[in-house]
Amino acid sequence: MNSPPSIFTVAENIVKEIGGTILFFVQIIKTFVKTPCKREEVFEQVWKVTIQSMPTTAMSGFFVGAIMTVQFTMQMKEFGALGYLGGLATSGTIREVGPLLIAFMLSGKVGAFTSAELGTMKVTEQIDAIRCLGADPIKDIILPRFLGIIISSFFLLTAGLLMSILGGMLMGQVIAGVNAEEYIRHIPTIVSLPSIGSGIIKCFSFAMVLAMVCTYKGYATTGGAKGVGLSVVKTAVSTMICIVIIDWLTSFLGEIALHIVIS
Amino acid sequence: MVLLRGKEIIKQINFIGNGSLFIIVFCVCFSALVTILESSFHMKMVIQNDSMVPGFATMLILRELGAVVTALLLTSRVGAGIAAEVGTMQITEQNDALKMLGINPVEFLLIPRLIASILATVALTVIANIVCIYCSMLVSEIYLGFTPSMFLTAMSRFVSFKDLIFSMIKGACFGAIIPLVSCFFGFRCRAGAEGVGMATTNSVVVSSVLIIVSDFLLSYVFSHLY
Repeated sequence: MNSPPSIFTVAENIVKEIGGTILFFVQIIKTFVKTPCKREEVFEQVWKVTIQSMPTTAMSGFFVGAIMTVQFTMQMKEFGALGYLGGLATSGTIREVGPLLIAFMLSGKVGAFTSAELGTMKVTEQIDAIRCLGADPIKDIILPRFLGIIISSFFLLTAGLLMSILGGMLMGQVIAGVNAEEYIRHIPTIVSLPSIGSGIIKCFSFAMVLAMVCTYKGYATTGGAKGVGLSVVKTAVSTMICIVIIDWLTSFLGEIALHIVIS
Repeated sequence: MVLLRGKEIIKQINFIGNGSLFIIVFCVCFSALVTILESSFHMKMVIQNDSMVPGFATMLILRELGAVVTALLLTSRVGAGIAAEVGTMQITEQNDALKMLGINPVEFLLIPRLIASILATVALTVIANIVCIYCSMLVSEIYLGFTPSMFLTAMSRFVSFKDLIFSMIKGACFGAIIPLVSCFFGFRCRAGAEGVGMATTNSVVVSSVLIIVSDFLLSYVFSHLY
């Protein structure tokens, strides 16, 4: 049994990973500005990722909405304010719980798939082969995937949020007896434009982080088939940690922005 | 006759529980921060003050977030690990070798992981709930000015011990889902490195979806029992 690594080694590794990801991101942005890739390639990636993950995302979005409605119904019943159910459940789902849980699902699906694909390309030396042919692997392989993941994750998250409204509406009808018309009528009274904006900004930042981490981990894979498995697990864990941190950061910045607007 | 192997179970509990403890505590702290921020936003909008924030936030944490966030994090770490391990054993024909020795591979691989995962997930769920509530107490003192005693008084009006028990039941169900799904995909793994990758991805996706669906079912059942 090997001894556990010291805290300094762990901290050093974490800092190295963060630095590596940021440097990789800078490299991608540089490539994007100097030599953008073909538009068709990005569209191809968007299509592939969206088609693959749409059923999973839609299903989890639906159930997340249903769960939130079940929870809010119990709390609302105590106050006799079931009229607000639609508004509050939708607001809670769109601003906070929806993006978080759907992003967790996507990081398992899209993140794992992309890092496994890129990792396999790296360990079977396909990326080196592309470099030998005089092409830039970042421009030809990484950049289309990076942009594709950002665009399609954004679409997928938004679709998941819409499905969550549908799920909430159905559960409101089934367990709380709030019919669909009444459920929808109270959504605009609680859900304001800033709330929707906050949800969409969250979706966008989660998509950004997901794309950054999974392309970096895939590209940095070493050590054969076992290395690919290792980098897939690492991708899932580090995207989840990053998503939780970004979630807090966006909420926090949103709160500060709200204070500035009010005062 | 299923032979329980204590050492293997303890080893698995160490891998599942102890290995995931840090990232679960870390993630749950941040989700506590966000829960407090968001519920104070909603309370201010609907009833114009935030005196009920502790009650509602801890209710949300105990009934949903604690168990679900723990389970989803475990899925990506433990579920992927189990699927990759069992899948590699399948394609390198180690499972066939076990069969030759007269050992049932399902019994040999799945049973210890199942028991360990149920025990570890229940324990991790309790830890996650406690850390999350503690963290939200800290945050609400900093952001909203609740002293800890005010927070606990307001909390105990909404939350009862039943909530923690239900959360533990949820944790046990999620803990059973993860190794069952991962071993299923691991045993069906096709040949080659690509097959292992597919098995890993599929098991993560299917178990996350199953966790969300079963969470909905359990919430629905428990909502009649409060």
